[in-house]
Amino acid sequence: MADGTQKRSNRALWLGLLLVVLGVLSNGLYFLGVPAPPIPWISLLLPIVGLAFVVAGVWRAFARPAIYRGKVVGSLAAALCTLILAASVAGFVISRRLPAPSAGTPQVGQRVPDFTLPDSEGHPVSLSTLLSGSAGGAPPKAVLLVFYRGYW
Amino acid sequence: MAISADPQNVSEDLRHKAGYTFTFLCDPQAEVIRRLALLHPGGGPDGQDISRPAEFLVDRSGTVRWENFAEDVRVRARADQMLAAARTLP
Repeated sequence: MADGTQKRSNRALWLGLLLVVLGVLSNGLYFLGVPAPPIPWISLLLPIVGLAFVVAGVWRAFARPAIYRGKVVGSLAAALCTLILAASVAGFVISRRLPAPSAGTPQVGQRVPDFTLPDSEGHPVSLSTLLSGSAGGAPPKAVLLVFYRGYW
Repeated sequence: MAISADPQNVSEDLRHKAGYTFTFLCDPQAEVIRRLALLHPGGGPDGQDISRPAEFLVDRSGTVRWENFAEDVRVRARADQMLAAARTLP
């Protein structure tokens, strides 16, 4: 009987939970302009690693109950983290479901065909007019066209 | 210029709420979007045809000098990359 042995805190469990929470929070990074390449992957990798730690923690709690706590909390945490991971994977897949850039899109060095579209107040605006600076003042060095999804 | 397939009143609403001073253009039939091969068929929340996210820096002659196509709708374009490209223009 291990009388003098205190039960150890199940660090793997808590570390795993922390990583999963960080994974969820990392979705906020998209709004902060952090450099692009690591970002989508972090919101997927953190929950995966976190869940691995949680599972390790739960295994420990069941395999060595005299030493490690956390059977109930661990099981609940494992279930929750699995759901969070599933949501992260779904979010990842859906966010990247975009058509591939097509050959029909102007490449660097090609010209954008002129077009005229109404602005948000209904006045027609043409690209060529904007580029030639007829809106008063010198013609701009360039125009940035930002195509966005909308429906916010 | 910000271009989307949103109806005019939605774009104007967004422009006012966010306090933007640049021009918002409306392409509700996605004509220009299609002409530039940027269509994302059924990509809207109710299956509407919308634009895929893309940015083009176009010089005075109408030539593309820089462009960016997001692979992930969550990742925002980098203003510093666009500005660096703009600075190389005469």
